[in-house]
Amino acid sequence: MTNMSICLVDYEFPAFLLASQLNQVWHIWEDHLCFFISLQVLVEAHSSARILTLNRPKQLNALSFQMISRLLELFFAYEEDPNVKLVILKGKGRAFCAGGDVAAVVRDTRAGANFFLKEYTLNYLMATYIKPQVSILNGIVMGGGAGASLHGRFRVATENSVFAMPETALGLFPDVGASYFLSRLPGFFGEYVGLTGSRLDGAEMLACGLATHFVPSAKLPMLEAALYEVDSSDLVIISSIIDQYCEQPSLKEQSVYNRLDVIDRCFSQKTVEEILSTLEREVVHQMDGWISATIQTLKKASPTSLKISLRSIREGRLQGVGPCLVREYRIVCHVMRGELSKDFFEGCRAILLDKDRNPKWEPSKLELIADSTVDCYFSKVNIEEWEDLKLPTRSKFNLPPYVIAKL
Amino acid sequence: MDRAFQRAKILTNHLLQSSPSSPAQTPALSSNACLNYSPPELSENYAFDINEMRKLIDGHHVEERDWLFGLIRQSKVFNPRVSGGRVFMSPNYNQSMEQQREMTWKRIVYLQERGVFKGWLTEKEEEVEMRKFACFEVLGIFDHSISIKLGVHFFLWSGAIQFFGTKHHHDKWLRDTENFLIKGCFAMTELGHGSNVRSIETVTTYDSNTGEFVINTPSESAQKYWIGGAAKHATHTIVFSQLNINGTNQGVHAFIAQIRDADGNICPNIRIADCGHKIGLNGVDNGRIWFDNVRVPRENLLNSVADVSPDGKYLSSIKDPDQRFAAFLAPLTAGRVNIAVTAVYQSKVGLAIAIRYALTRRAFSLKPNEPEVLLLDYPSHQRRLLPLLAKTYAMSFAANYLKMLYVKRTPQSSKTIHVVSSSFKATFTWNNMQILQECREACGGQGLKTENRIGQLKGEYDVQSTFEGDNNILMQQVSKALLAEYVAAQKRNKAFQSLGLEHMNKPYPVIPSQLASTTLRCSQFQMDALCLRERDLLNRFVADVSQYQAKGESKAHAFIMSYQLAEDLGRAFSDRAIFQTFVEAEATLASGSLKDVLGKLRSLYALICLEDVAFLRYGCLSVDNAATVRREITKICSELRPHALALVSSFGIPDAFLSPIAFNWIDANSWSSAQH
Repeated sequence: MTNMSICLVDYEFPAFLLASQLNQVWHIWEDHLCFFISLQVLVEAHSSARILTLNRPKQLNALSFQMISRLLELFFAYEEDPNVKLVILKGKGRAFCAGGDVAAVVRDTRAGANFFLKEYTLNYLMATYIKPQVSILNGIVMGGGAGASLHGRFRVATENSVFAMPETALGLFPDVGASYFLSRLPGFFGEYVGLTGSRLDGAEMLACGLATHFVPSAKLPMLEAALYEVDSSDLVIISSIIDQYCEQPSLKEQSVYNRLDVIDRCFSQKTVEEILSTLEREVVHQMDGWISATIQTLKKASPTSLKISLRSIREGRLQGVGPCLVREYRIVCHVMRGELSKDFFEGCRAILLDKDRNPKWEPSKLELIADSTVDCYFSKVNIEEWEDLKLPTRSKFNLPPYVIAKL
Repeated sequence: MDRAFQRAKILTNHLLQSSPSSPAQTPALSSNACLNYSPPELSENYAFDINEMRKLIDGHHVEERDWLFGLIRQSKVFNPRVSGGRVFMSPNYNQSMEQQREMTWKRIVYLQERGVFKGWLTEKEEEVEMRKFACFEVLGIFDHSISIKLGVHFFLWSGAIQFFGTKHHHDKWLRDTENFLIKGCFAMTELGHGSNVRSIETVTTYDSNTGEFVINTPSESAQKYWIGGAAKHATHTIVFSQLNINGTNQGVHAFIAQIRDADGNICPNIRIADCGHKIGLNGVDNGRIWFDNVRVPRENLLNSVADVSPDGKYLSSIKDPDQRFAAFLAPLTAGRVNIAVTAVYQSKVGLAIAIRYALTRRAFSLKPNEPEVLLLDYPSHQRRLLPLLAKTYAMSFAANYLKMLYVKRTPQSSKTIHVVSSSFKATFTWNNMQILQECREACGGQGLKTENRIGQLKGEYDVQSTFEGDNNILMQQVSKALLAEYVAAQKRNKAFQSLGLEHMNKPYPVIPSQLASTTLRCSQFQMDALCLRERDLLNRFVADVSQYQAKGESKAHAFIMSYQLAEDLGRAFSDRAIFQTFVEAEATLASGSLKDVLGKLRSLYALICLEDVAFLRYGCLSVDNAATVRREITKICSELRPHALALVSSFGIPDAFLSPIAFNWIDANSWSSAQH
């Protein structure tokens, strides 16, 4: 149905999915639509555990609108179902999930906004879920994939995990609740990860707290089998089961996580401009390939995206997960409306469609973006059909303390 | 039926418990379901946009504030503690005085490295001054000590150099001060003289042979006292001293003296002792200084007002010693403005915590087996907290007005700034202590825990009513200024033109004999009532003072004798001036939900002012009307109840800067929490 997804990993598109051939296969799909959609999320039941597998391996499990809808439906149902005590989420193939599928988004503004509305609702539901969610992050976890896992209680990384929030390179901003979970990382690591789109491995994810556990992939089948038998929502029990398969990975010597002092000094600065100038000062003091590369990455990203992202993460640090998602939805509506900037569409063109990897950002420089323009992204869209995000009501549940702490 | 069943159950439990049989045979008692903490956000709705409200009451630099909150939030130096799954930022007040001082200093270094103070002294724009105020408001929410340490350095030490110094002082000292290469303090108060700076005893002479001033502490009562920064960290100080030139006392002047070298060793001829442990503010190293004929170069006289030539001649552009002295108090104004506006934010912290707690804590059922009632659903609890909320909103608008008045100062506005800043400083800091006390009590036992902040804030902020001008003395100055204005207007037979006294030119406002609800909520009526009291008290005060004078008493003595009216008048002026800023802020808004709720807050504020006994005492309000006002207050309280959460959320204080009882206090106090 679509051949685009937010991910910076090159991968082979299956030939039958190319747009030119889409119509030919469409009628065949239509017949099997329901079946097909249900296949995008595989469901298994083992006693009181439910195992949901994202099943679009060729698209690196990029979240389609249908997948999000299906996950929402399942999560809502499991919350009410006393027979379900634990939800396990994983991906088929070499990715957990490479992001949200943005084809529909770019084609149709309204449908696009609707996609994000559903996706953020799912993020909120997961963040405030009364039953534990265990996500097995054995592969790529990017953008929307991070949103579908990191809000849950347990996040298991492996040696295959690759995490990134690559949105600023695409003219978007770290959304799906990233302004909540990135801003909670130690020091100013969240700003660094969110602005540069830097990739983290499993060991780094564990070190900074994005992952709660690290389990070598070889032990995953045993871990899953053990979880099938849990029959409890007790966090201590589940945690101790995962602990049995855990290993303490060591950080690579060149890991960015060993550069926290530099990251804190630079990424704590008030503005993107000051972050860049501080990085440039650091480079003068010590010739350092990593700092120059960081500067280059920032210079290639959409200037508008950088400014929105920094502000969003900073505001997120002082807000609960609900207000974070409401704010991100306001921003994404402005992005979709394209009145302030069309960088997202340009980014999709350059990275996903034409693949020239040479987006022409407009405005092209940080200095050309007024604070008042950035302010606009955070304001309510004052047009009738563009409502604020309405979060699902959670007051009917007796929420566990770790959820209450996020509100 | 239920009741009978419960009784039976309780009896059974008693019997089972008292049964002497072996414990193994005792059936396990089923534990009661724990009270369920329900976050107020899930049940309360926001009827207006809290971000818009925050912009309105913070007034400026919202993003800057959040950046600074974020810097603090992400740093280990600011002592993060986890409770109930949340992180809270607050100093560890269980540390010794020495440790607290060390931490305060470490925090300042951290903020300096992050560029928080960049441009504070080297850029001279209104924007920078407002940014400074915003930063102090944020820092004051974290801790008073850090705010005072910085205030001494940036407002007092630097302010003295900026206001009293001339270009070569600015060039020599300001950049190094901004970078903390030197650490300044401000030695004005002495053991024997606090508010009465004109009578300080420290004395300085000039030695024309060496071109040096010689500063001396002639007696024990002349020791400099309460000097923030002096006990531990400061390298330099401003010294206030009488200047004696060839046997003639030229009055109080300010000098720069070094008191420590770069390594922290105390300089020769300087003696320094500690002021010791205090009821709060132990992160500030208050000290005492004795000067034993300390010699400083001639250039160290801050000479914008007066100078001494190399051969020892006294030169001053201001001939009148009174005016010369007044000029020396200018930097205190910035400090006073800062104290006033910071006080408002502590009230916000207290109310945010107490109201959030009142929205989650229940006590007593109206009927058996019914759920207990939420504290804030009791009208009495509303009556305790919501008027204070209205007062805090009123103070916010008044604080924004005061800051603007200060940064847009002109020589013509200096008298207004002095009067308004004195009045607001005294009123806000007194209000703050009253609000914190009520909030502390409203939190019951939980309010006693240091981690819940309110009780500690009382100790930390108590000093505000004393430093930079004792509140009572400041209020006397307000009344004195109003009296002077009155006398001047009468003498010249001219209309009142300043201090907001223009209403005195109009006919006496008339209060209706029967006050209706609609009248009570009308801002014109509210303003009339507040003006009436101020006007009446000013007339009485003038009459009282002149009566004493007619009996042959001096003006100064007449003043001392009329203190009761002076106090009432000072309060009447403050209430009216604050109210005026509320009305002006409200007028900037388009009609809508925000304006509606502000209208209620404004009415509530006005009506609690009308409850002041002065209205009854001087007959501005009839006994019947006073009762009507009281009834209306309870009505507005109940109307504001649904907005309580939104109103405290609009304060924009991040969760981490509140306290565990403002959130999941059951989880924060659980057994498993106690194990970490």
